[in-house]
Amino acid sequence: MNDFAYVGKPMTKPDIYGKVTGEAKYTDDLVIPGMVEGRILCSPIAHARIKRIDTSKARALPGVLCVLTHEDCPKSRFSRSTMAEALPEFAFTGERQDQYILTDKVRYVGDWVAAVAAEDIYTAERALELIEVEYEPLAMVLDPFEALKPGAHVVHEDCPNNVAFEMDHPFNCGDVDKAFAEAIAVAEFSGVSSRQKHLHLETDIAIAAFESDGRLVIHSPSQGPHLAKKHLTKRVFPDLEDGDIRWISPAIGGGFGARLALGVEPAAVLLARACRRPVRVTTTREEDFQGYSSRTDQHQAIRVAADKDGKLLAIEQIIVADSGAYLSHSATTATVNMQKTLGVLKCDNIRGHLTVAYTNTPTTSGFRGYGNAEGAFVFQQALDRLAEKLGMDPMELRLRNLKVPGDPSCFVPVPLAHTKLEECIHLAADKIGWKDKWLGWDAKKEGRYKRGIGMSILTHASGAGGFLLEHSSCVMKVLTDGSLNLIVAPCEMGQGILGALAQVAAESTGLKYELIRISTGDTDVTMFDIGSHASRSMLVIGNAVAAAGVKINEQIRERAVSLFEEHQIRLTKDDIQVKAGQITSPKAPGISIDVGRVAYAAIYDFGSGGSQLNASGSYQSTSHHPNHQAAFAEVEVDTETGMVTVLNYVSAHDIGRAINPLLVEAQMQGSLVQGIGFALTEDFVIDPETGNVLSDSLLTYRLPTTMDVPEMEHLLIEDPLDDGPFGAKGCGEAGLVNPAAAIANAVYDAVGIRVHSLPLAADKVLWALRHGEDIAPGRSAVSGQYL
Amino acid sequence: MSKRIGSFAVNGKKRDTIIEPHMLLVDVIRDSLGLTGTKRACASGNCGACTVLADGQPVCSCLTLAVCSQDKALETVEGLRAADGTLHPLQQAFIEHCAAQCGYCTAGMLMTSKALLDANPRPSREDVKRALSGNICRCTGYVKIIDAVLDAAQKINAAREVAA
Repeated sequence: MNDFAYVGKPMTKPDIYGKVTGEAKYTDDLVIPGMVEGRILCSPIAHARIKRIDTSKARALPGVLCVLTHEDCPKSRFSRSTMAEALPEFAFTGERQDQYILTDKVRYVGDWVAAVAAEDIYTAERALELIEVEYEPLAMVLDPFEALKPGAHVVHEDCPNNVAFEMDHPFNCGDVDKAFAEAIAVAEFSGVSSRQKHLHLETDIAIAAFESDGRLVIHSPSQGPHLAKKHLTKRVFPDLEDGDIRWISPAIGGGFGARLALGVEPAAVLLARACRRPVRVTTTREEDFQGYSSRTDQHQAIRVAADKDGKLLAIEQIIVADSGAYLSHSATTATVNMQKTLGVLKCDNIRGHLTVAYTNTPTTSGFRGYGNAEGAFVFQQALDRLAEKLGMDPMELRLRNLKVPGDPSCFVPVPLAHTKLEECIHLAADKIGWKDKWLGWDAKKEGRYKRGIGMSILTHASGAGGFLLEHSSCVMKVLTDGSLNLIVAPCEMGQGILGALAQVAAESTGLKYELIRISTGDTDVTMFDIGSHASRSMLVIGNAVAAAGVKINEQIRERAVSLFEEHQIRLTKDDIQVKAGQITSPKAPGISIDVGRVAYAAIYDFGSGGSQLNASGSYQSTSHHPNHQAAFAEVEVDTETGMVTVLNYVSAHDIGRAINPLLVEAQMQGSLVQGIGFALTEDFVIDPETGNVLSDSLLTYRLPTTMDVPEMEHLLIEDPLDDGPFGAKGCGEAGLVNPAAAIANAVYDAVGIRVHSLPLAADKVLWALRHGEDIAPGRSAVSGQYL
Repeated sequence: MSKRIGSFAVNGKKRDTIIEPHMLLVDVIRDSLGLTGTKRACASGNCGACTVLADGQPVCSCLTLAVCSQDKALETVEGLRAADGTLHPLQQAFIEHCAAQCGYCTAGMLMTSKALLDANPRPSREDVKRALSGNICRCTGYVKIIDAVLDAAQKINAAREVAA
């Protein structure tokens, strides 16, 4: 047992008080003196050239300050993804900066045509209606497979084949053809992940204001304001320098990856420049549905082969991803899919290819799970099919192919250092009763309601060391009462990272948890950091905090030596301990000194030793520290309606150490329910005739509610990671990877059908039940079997 | 479009502000009265984030015209605390159970839960689920919210029994 004061305990996270009292301030709650309202005119058609825009009526409306079109935009192109600024130049040669703020050629329903600023929101809305646009419609292409055919309608003139990005599989190795030829069993599954919407309840918003010295202040809910600032200056407004912008992320009303791309900030800046007033640009929920943020739909075919003992001999993975109208996170998520999805198991013969296509549909992006959830849905079903062909327990097939430390890691060319996936599988399997509940491939189920069980395993990131710019720095200062100001860069989207970092700070400094005060979200205050994503904050930022914390701890111990001398006790700093705000020593029993005395004395020193206790800490991750998870789902299928209900879900997570088990559980529960939505109900539908988004409200796009929550249990395997702060790995993203895959395998166990597209909506399940999957009609095809 | 003075009884206090016939209750609460704890999230009554109580009943303030709310006793999240600043047992339970993540749905969850507990002091787990089924939370997966409401109900009842 450790004797931590705070690490491993369910401490209350500091930001929750403002959230239950209504006092937390989000961007929409801020009022800048003189602020006016900005709105954006979105295209009603999917593909057209703008022949003429007449803004005169809108400009003549009293209260309208400016109306801007493509003619008023900088002539530099950008991508909504800010990731280019976190990658080395050579790493991502396919990066395309392919859009302007306002366009003269619309490429999807929702593309930005014009922007207005007005004294109030009602006037701004009215002004949008008064803008006259004459469109010259162009033939559109909505399906990525159609887009990739020779002679397809072109989305971007400088990209005549509509290929936004392509690459061979990063794991290409061995002799795949030979391995398939020699295999005893070969199985294949193909399927497409859906465009799951992030559905952060706070819709996209930004406030831009120029200060009297010409400096630009942006308030917006960014997951990575330093990166966004760099991107905005380098790509969108090249006349601005990094230091010209102060970017503040207030409380964030949900992120899930969406806030890692630029939202309305460029439009807010453009309007603020034009009308010389602070401008707040807001968007509606309907615009959010039609807009530029969803998971990327990735069409995949995965073929696997094994020998008679279930040793995985070969894998082939083909992906066609739909970028939508512009390239944002679709290429990077699909790349991560290839690495993470196949990286969970050992295999010496791998081949594959990725193609990312432009279409006249909303731009797709990155979503929690970042490619891995998309990939697991297909790969984990292909594995089950392989196990079925071998007549083998699907858990046994996975166990026989797990990586062990020393095997190639799934991300960068370094060996895997740490994995507890095998323990995770056994723990979760025992908990859910796999041995009793999985009845073999030939099990017959009777009755209208049929139950089944399925599993899935994953490996995911704790940051992308060796690939992205994975460093972070923090600053600490101790006040006279023994409280600590921690200046550190994560973005609190609700994941609880401020609480976890406060625990790391309190533990490493020896100060009281309740007296850790965190300043974050303001690029003028915090140090450079690429933002909160890829489950990186706990590992990378946590290590930076711990690095500063031990310095503060040492300073306190050094200065405490003289305080013990007051008690006629001679000690060195190494004899002294600081914990939970109290200074003690085993050599001075009965004496406990409040750290506030040291901190006060350090500042109120009128001699020569005066200095506030302060330290900075930095950390750069250069390696890969994957976390792992095994999950099991039990479902019930109503064979009369096709409705799938998740009854029970058990997962076990290889977390290194849980800094705060309550926060970890909160992340797991939340990501599971998002995963249930991804698996069963969240259906993003585009009208094939017009390209319009049909699922444009919470009535037509169904999120899970309280009524959809199953029994669930999230177990932790804690084996401290050498490189983690107090041994911790990341955890926030992983929970969304397994649910759809495990549920899909459970549905097959229940009723013997596999649906090839997400979500496993009742109508699709019913169709498959009635017709059998072999005759299910194809929508578009990697292997011709989409439903 | 006629402007007029609207009178509202919010959290037990009378507040006057200029309103127009088209103004929504959520906009008056947030923009005119400065009570920004109530959130705009879907503007179509589908997510519950803007829930306030009108005469004790939960309503979507994004679907309610401000002019129609003048004769009603309105309660928002800012009114949950006791006069001395003590948190409402629901707020305390949300903190203890870590039942808020991004926080955007939290005000609506709390107000809907308050209406439930006022009407049904001993709800079953199923009662809580049904009462909150119109409130969307994208972060928590609901489990900790349901746990918190049940815990708060128990604590409120225990306090009542001690008082009686």
